Amino acid sequence: MSTRTIIDVSELPHHEFDTYDPVWWGNNLLLAIETSMFAILVATYFYLRQNFTLWPPPVAQLTATLRPLPQLTYGTANTILLLLSLIPIVMTDLSARRDNRRVSQIGLVIAIICGFTALVLRSFEFSAVYFRWDSNAYGSIVWFILGMHMLHLAVLTTEAIVLAIWIFTREYDMKHRVDIVTLAIYWYWVVGIWLVLYAVVYFTPRLG
Amino acid sequence: MSHEKTHRESESKKTTITDEELAEVMAHEKDELERTWAHPRGVVGWLSKTDHKVIAMRYIVTAFVFFVLGGIEAALMRIQLARPDNHFLTPDQYNQIFTVHGTTMMFLFAVPIMTAMGIYLVPLMIGARDVAYPRVNAYGYFVYLIGGILLYAGLMTNTGPDAGWFAYVPLAGPAYSPGKRVDIWAQMITFTELSGLVGAVVIIGTVFKMRAPGMSVNRIPLFVWAQLVTAFMIIFAMPSVMLASSFLASDRLIDTHFFNPAEGGDSILYQHLFWFFGHPEVYIIFIPALGFISPIIIAFSRRRIFGHLVLVLSLISTAFIGFGLWVHHMFATPIPQMGQSFFSAASMVIAIPSGVQIFCWIATLWGGKLNIKTPLLFVLGFFAIFVLGGLTGLMLASVPLDLQVHDTFFVVAHLHYVLIGGSVFPLFGAFYYWFPKWTGRMLSERAGRWNFWLMFIGFNLVFFPMHQLGLNGMPRRVYTYLPETGWGTLNLIASIGAFVLASGVLVFMINAFWARRAGAVAGDNPWAAHSLEWSIPSPPPNYNFHNMPVVQGQYPLWQATEDAPVVRGLSTSKREALVTSVMDAEPELRFEIPGPSIWPFAVSLATAVMFIAGIFTPWAFLVGAILAGAALVAWFFGDPNYENKSARETGERSQSVSPPRELQPKEV
Repeated sequence: MSTRTIIDVSELPHHEFDTYDPVWWGNNLLLAIETSMFAILVATYFYLRQNFTLWPPPVAQLTATLRPLPQLTYGTANTILLLLSLIPIVMTDLSARRDNRRVSQIGLVIAIICGFTALVLRSFEFSAVYFRWDSNAYGSIVWFILGMHMLHLAVLTTEAIVLAIWIFTREYDMKHRVDIVTLAIYWYWVVGIWLVLYAVVYFTPRLG
Repeated sequence: MSHEKTHRESESKKTTITDEELAEVMAHEKDELERTWAHPRGVVGWLSKTDHKVIAMRYIVTAFVFFVLGGIEAALMRIQLARPDNHFLTPDQYNQIFTVHGTTMMFLFAVPIMTAMGIYLVPLMIGARDVAYPRVNAYGYFVYLIGGILLYAGLMTNTGPDAGWFAYVPLAGPAYSPGKRVDIWAQMITFTELSGLVGAVVIIGTVFKMRAPGMSVNRIPLFVWAQLVTAFMIIFAMPSVMLASSFLASDRLIDTHFFNPAEGGDSILYQHLFWFFGHPEVYIIFIPALGFISPIIIAFSRRRIFGHLVLVLSLISTAFIGFGLWVHHMFATPIPQMGQSFFSAASMVIAIPSGVQIFCWIATLWGGKLNIKTPLLFVLGFFAIFVLGGLTGLMLASVPLDLQVHDTFFVVAHLHYVLIGGSVFPLFGAFYYWFPKWTGRMLSERAGRWNFWLMFIGFNLVFFPMHQLGLNGMPRRVYTYLPETGWGTLNLIASIGAFVLASGVLVFMINAFWARRAGAVAGDNPWAAHSLEWSIPSPPPNYNFHNMPVVQGQYPLWQATEDAPVVRGLSTSKREALVTSVMDAEPELRFEIPGPSIWPFAVSLATAVMFIAGIFTPWAFLVGAILAGAALVAWFFGDPNYENKSARETGERSQSVSPPRELQPKEV
C-alpha cells in the first residue's frame, strides 16, 4: 500500500471567461463552420461570375440600365449601423467581465434595437439588387448570400433577446456572464463577416 | 450533501492519502455518485438520455443496421449482375438501389459509425466523465436517425433517389429528375451532415477541454488524434456539401439557377462543391480507422509504437493534402491542363503519409512478440487490401489512365478496396477489440477467425475481378450487359464472392448476439492494454471515472506509478467534470455537465419539420425555424437545476494545484 498525493480541485471555479470555458470553444467551432460556409459561398459567387460577360447581367427592360449594379443606399446604411452596434456590444462584453449588471442590460437592449433595425434594412437590400432569386444565377447567389447573413442576424438578435430576458428577470451569475461574452464574440463575427460580404456583393461588380 | 462536505473538509487538510483510506472514501461516495449519474426512466427518459456511451451505442447500432441494409442492396445488385441479360431487377429499381446503396454506405454508415466510435471512446481514453456538450450530442443522433428513416421511407414508397450517390446535375436537376426522389436525397444529406458537424464540434470541444490532468498534447493517444484531425476535416469539408445540396434543393423547389446553364448557372460548379467535400470525406472515413489500428497494434505486439510523433504528423498532413485532391474526381470534365497536373501530383503525394504510417506499424510489429488475435488479423487484412487499393489510387491519379477507366468497374474496384480495406476491416478489428469494454464480455475467438477469413476471401472474390471488368470496359451503373461482351464469368465470380462476404458479416452478428449473453467475462483489461479506458470496469459505470485519473505518460496504464497522484474534490451530488487547459491539461474548472433533457429531441423534431416539409413547400423553413427557435428557448430556460450554487462562485481562479513532478513520464 502506497501513499498518493492529492490533487485537490474542490476550490476551482465553475466558470471562467474565454478559452477556459467549453462554451467558448463550442461557439467558436460553430463560427468556424459558418466561416467556411461563407467562404464557399463567396467562391461560388466568383465561380458563377465567370459565366457572365457582364456582372450583374444587363436587364431586358428599356427603363433599366445596362449595368444594374446593386444600389448602395440600404447596404451602406446597414453596414454603418452594424459598425455602430459594436459600441453597445463592446459595452456589454466589458461589463459582463466586470460584473456590472446595469451596463450589460443597457448594452443588450441597444444592441437588440440595432439587430432589429439591421433586419429591416436587410429586407430592403433584397429589392436593391434588381433581380429576384429566380431571375438568373446572379440573382440566386446574391439572394443566397444576403439571406444566409440575414439568418445569422435573426439568430443573433433572438439570442440577445433571450439573454436579455434572463438577466432582467433572473440571476446575473457567472454562467450567464460567460454566455454574454460568448454572444459578443458571435456579434463581432456577424459584423466582421458582413464587411467581407458587403465588399463582395456591392463593390466587386463596380471594380469592373 | 452533508457527508460530502465533511469528506471535503477532512481531505482539504490533507495533501496525501493512503490506498486504504482512498478505498474507504470511495466506497462511501459510490452510492451517491451512482444516483447523481443515473439514467432517467420511461419513454421520455429514454429520449432524454445524454450519456455519451448511450448515444454512441445508439449511433453504432443504427449505423450497423444501415450497413446491413446497404449490404442487402449490394447483394440485390450482385444477383442482378450475376449473369448477362438478367431481369431480376428492373432498370428503375436498379437505379434506386445503387443510389441508395452508395448513399447509405457513405452517409448513414461510414461517417456516423466512425464519429460514434469517437463519441464512445474519446472521453474514456482522455479520462473524462462525458463529452463536453452531451445534449448537443444527443441532438446530433436524433437528426441522423431522422435523415436515415427519410431515405428508407423514400425507397419503400418507390421514391428512392435514383441519380447516383453524388446526384450530379443536370441529371438530378429539375429538368431531368421530376418528382421528389432527388429532394429526398438532398434533405437526407442536410440531416446527416448536420449530425456530422455537430459530432465534430463535440469531439473537438471534448479533446481540447476535458483531458485528464497530465495528458498534455504530447501524451494524447493516437486514436484521439485521429478523431481530432477528422473532426477538423469535417468542419471545413461538410459545409460545402450542405451548400451543394441546398442549392440543388432550391433549384428544384424555388427555381433558383445555380446549376442551370440557360440562366448563367453551372453544372460543373456542383461537382466542385460536391467533391470539395467528397474527397475529404474519404479521409473522414479513413483517418478514424487509422486511429483504430495504432492501439490494436500496440496491444497485440506488446510494445510502444514506433514513431508516435511521425504518425501524428502523418495524420495531420493527410488531412491537409486531402483537401487538395478533389479535382481528380473530375478529370473527365473540362479542367485546365495546369489544374489537372496539380491535382494529379497532389493525388500521388498523399501516398507518402499513408506509406509512412504503414511502415511505422510494420516496424512496431517487426520486433514485437505478436499475439495474433482477431483484432490483429483484421489489421493485417487491412494492410493487404488497403495497399492494393492505394496502388490503384496512384494509377487513377494519372490523368490518361483515369480518362481510360473513368466510370468503369475499375473505379468501383478501387473505391471498395480503399473504403472496405481502409475502413471496414479496421472497424471490425475495433469491434473485436472494444466489444469487451462495451459489454463486459468477450467475442468468440474461433468465430472471429471464421468471420475474418470469410470476409477477407469474400471481399477479394467480389472486388478483384472488377479491376479486370473495368479494364475490359464494363461501365458502372448499368443494370445489365449482353452475353457477347464476355463479362459473364467474372461477374459470376464477383456475385459468389458477395455471398461469402455477407456470410462473414452474418458470423459477426451471430457472434455478437451470442457473446452478449454467453461470452467469457472480460474483466477491466482483457488485452492488458495501455490506455485509460481499460482502467475502469467493463461495461463502464455511467460516470466513467470515480476519481479523475492522472496521466503520467503516453501509455498511462503501463507507466502509472504506485504512488500516482489522485484527483479529489469533484462533487458527487452534481454531475461535475474536470475542465483542463488545452495544451498542458492543467485543471482549470469544475464544470457541471448538462444532464438528461428532452429538448434536444424536440429540436430535432423541429429540424425534421423544416427539412422534410421543406421538400414540398418553402414555407416549411419558416415554420420549422420558429419551432426550432421555440424549442431552443425552452432548452435554455427549462432546466431547473442548471447550476451549482456555491459560495465559491466568485469568478476567481484558484492557484494551480497539480504538482508537476508526479506527472513526469516513467519509462515503460
